[in-house]
Amino acid sequence: MDSRQWTRRDLLCASGAVGVGALAGCSGLLEEQSTNRNPSVVENRPDAIYRPSHVEGMEMIGMQEAGGRMVGLMYAYAHRFWTVTGSVTELVQPGGDVHLMASVWDPDSGTVLPVGTGLSVEIRTDGERLHRRSPWTMLSQNMGFHYGDNFALDGEGTYTVTVETGAVGTERVGDFADSFGESATAQFEWEYSEAARSEIPFRTLDDAGDPGALDPMEMDMMPLSFAPSTDELPGQVLGSAEAGDVHFAATVVSGDDGDAIAVSPRTRYNGYVLPAMSLSATLDRDGSTAFDDLLTQAVGPDLGYHYRASVDAVESGDELTITTDSGPQVSRHEGYETAFTDVPDVSITAD
Amino acid sequence: MGRTDRGVSRRDFVKAAVAIGGTSALSACLDREGAPDLDTGPEDLSALPARQHAWNESLSRDDAGNVTAARHHVLLLLEYAGEGTPSEDDRETVEQALRGLERAYPRSNEGLLFTVGYTPAYFDRYDASLPESVDLPRPGALAPFEDPKPDEPDALVHLASDYGQVVLGADEALRGKRETLNDVDVSSFGDVFERVDRRTGFVGAGLPAENQDVDGIPDSEPVDEDAPLFMGFKSGFEANQASEDRVTIQEGPFAEGTTAHLSKIQLHLDQWYEQDSRYQRVGKMFSPAHADEEKVEGVGNNLGTDSGLDGDQDRTLEDARTKGMVGHTQKSARARDENDSPLILRRDFDSTDGGEAGLHFLSLQRTISDFVETREAMNGTDVADQSAVGTRNNNGILQYLTVDRRGNYLMPPRDHRSLPRPDP
Ligand code: HEM
Repeated sequence: MDSRQWTRRDLLCASGAVGVGALAGCSGLLEEQSTNRNPSVVENRPDAIYRPSHVEGMEMIGMQEAGGRMVGLMYAYAHRFWTVTGSVTELVQPGGDVHLMASVWDPDSGTVLPVGTGLSVEIRTDGERLHRRSPWTMLSQNMGFHYGDNFALDGEGTYTVTVETGAVGTERVGDFADSFGESATAQFEWEYSEAARSEIPFRTLDDAGDPGALDPMEMDMMPLSFAPSTDELPGQVLGSAEAGDVHFAATVVSGDDGDAIAVSPRTRYNGYVLPAMSLSATLDRDGSTAFDDLLTQAVGPDLGYHYRASVDAVESGDELTITTDSGPQVSRHEGYETAFTDVPDVSITAD
Repeated sequence: MGRTDRGVSRRDFVKAAVAIGGTSALSACLDREGAPDLDTGPEDLSALPARQHAWNESLSRDDAGNVTAARHHVLLLLEYAGEGTPSEDDRETVEQALRGLERAYPRSNEGLLFTVGYTPAYFDRYDASLPESVDLPRPGALAPFEDPKPDEPDALVHLASDYGQVVLGADEALRGKRETLNDVDVSSFGDVFERVDRRTGFVGAGLPAENQDVDGIPDSEPVDEDAPLFMGFKSGFEANQASEDRVTIQEGPFAEGTTAHLSKIQLHLDQWYEQDSRYQRVGKMFSPAHADEEKVEGVGNNLGTDSGLDGDQDRTLEDARTKGMVGHTQKSARARDENDSPLILRRDFDSTDGGEAGLHFLSLQRTISDFVETREAMNGTDVADQSAVGTRNNNGILQYLTVDRRGNYLMPPRDHRSLPRPDP
């Protein structure tokens, strides 16, 4: 627990003038610490998606259009999360006052524009810069992909939060080809109070640790990072396969420079896109290899965020094998941190 | 905790004085550092090197043999105060002032090291253009996620010394506040230049730890006592720097000169120190192999005279795909020439200007294109496109820096250092 969060009230309790208000503050503090919003990590977590220790809400700070995209800014209690590098996950203890989240999407298709942008956030108050950083790319069970981090604030008051989206560096296909190539800036005024924060709903779960996931939340006007359902995928859909809690759907689309295999991995249960994976694929035709290469990331309005490679053709009977060289390199909220580290190969045979 | 009753250490104080500048800061520095018994510079200046940037042979070296940067730095961004192009008198005024500094102090880390450079905007004052042998574009953004403001004064003066009082004294002398330095008569730039900015900094073991009470560094005082830079690792190994020869312009009227790129970088190290683990810090600064094999002890002095890459640069993409992160060093080392030499000579230093943790990234290279190529290697956009590594997340140290300003300068040979024409 970040000590800064409590300093002022600790001081208040320690001071000699123990009025009723101060006492109330102290007991409130004790209560808040014991029923803190970060219950212990579930014991014996499965190496899979699991129901976390608790479910909590979040509060919308605002939504704004910038550079042809929508930027949404939200906050919740500061909470633990895990960073991921390769197959190493590191617990980040909760620190600061709030967990701040940003999401960026295409207002026309509702496609969340994940990673590949270097988004950054600046927080100012009283004319001073309090923070400036690139939040982590993250995956949570009730929200899917977003940018987020814990931040210490300077007490209650008005904050100006500036989100610089960065240019979408990921290959853009279809109607996205000519969009989102420039960075855009959205600015939010935020009146922060501890009382408002305390109203954010919070509940511990009885079935914590069981396989499964929280339901996606419903936020007015804000799309979540769902992958398109397999039958909605454009092109000649090859089929789908599941391994290691990843559901892979594959299709063949034709573009300006010939055909491309497009692979769209999404989470089991909720169907969120899984960004920042390293995938490669082979195509076996009658015992010989017709294709063997990396898949690279791309995003389009119909395919959503996906991984692709150009191929000459996919013929009936071809076997597509997808290898996960590394799972999604995005930080994880509770319930996702033990999943996707060792995803077995999957194969899909073209009809 | 306990921060407020910490005494101000001597070096801490000197650093603060350098940042503030002025006569009172100077006398305060004298009190703290004592007055080191420094020789004066040579009477006859004809033996000084033709290259302004020839600093290495007069800098000290660490136990392993790496060149050690001077500890205190001041950067002066100057605008030519006159109209149009400078006159011969202006040129003479500037040259006399610089010669004064050379006579006052020995050309070394204990004395004074300095350079003067000029921007493309300065050369635009003239109808003639720079020769083809000089590659000096105007500054611009060098990554898809940055939006730096261009620095376009006319000139840049870089002053460096192990003694704060020496850089401060030189700074004061150039603006006419002192008539002698080290008992030697000196003169000023007079009204030839106007100052548009003054930036300060420091580098070397102990200084970052003593000056970590700034925005951008968590309150837990995480910076290692031995660290020469805020991010906590040794930088500037012999094998990972271009030599002075490698960065020197070889032909034309500016032969023996070089180009400088100066960026003003803000550091935000909350995540670095509070959320990343040591494993991740080593992996992101050097390479995943450095982290896996625990090659780096403490701040990394154990590495000796090279960063211990052992070909990790050739595994950048592979590491990106399997380790989920790539190292800053590994990635940047992909920009090497046919002799496996880096293209740039880094002379960067930390800063607390404006109360924020920062870095003045000053680098020398034969052409600005060499810098651009190196920065592209460091961006690792190619790696991010083909792997799980993000544009900034897990992509070396990009997540922890924001480039606020960039400027390009020609650092002419000593003969042409005073308000040169583009075709001297
Ligand atoms: C806070 C900022 C930075 C820190 C702390 C930092 C630190 C380091 C460290 C520890 C190394 C390896 C050891 C050595 O220096 O020999 C290194 C290497 C290097 N860095 Fe940085 N660096 C920073 C910014 C930059 C920037 C802005 C550039 C510009 C392109 C850059 C270019 C390089 C290059 C070219 C190498 C050597 C690669 C080779 O071996 O060929 N660094 N840096």
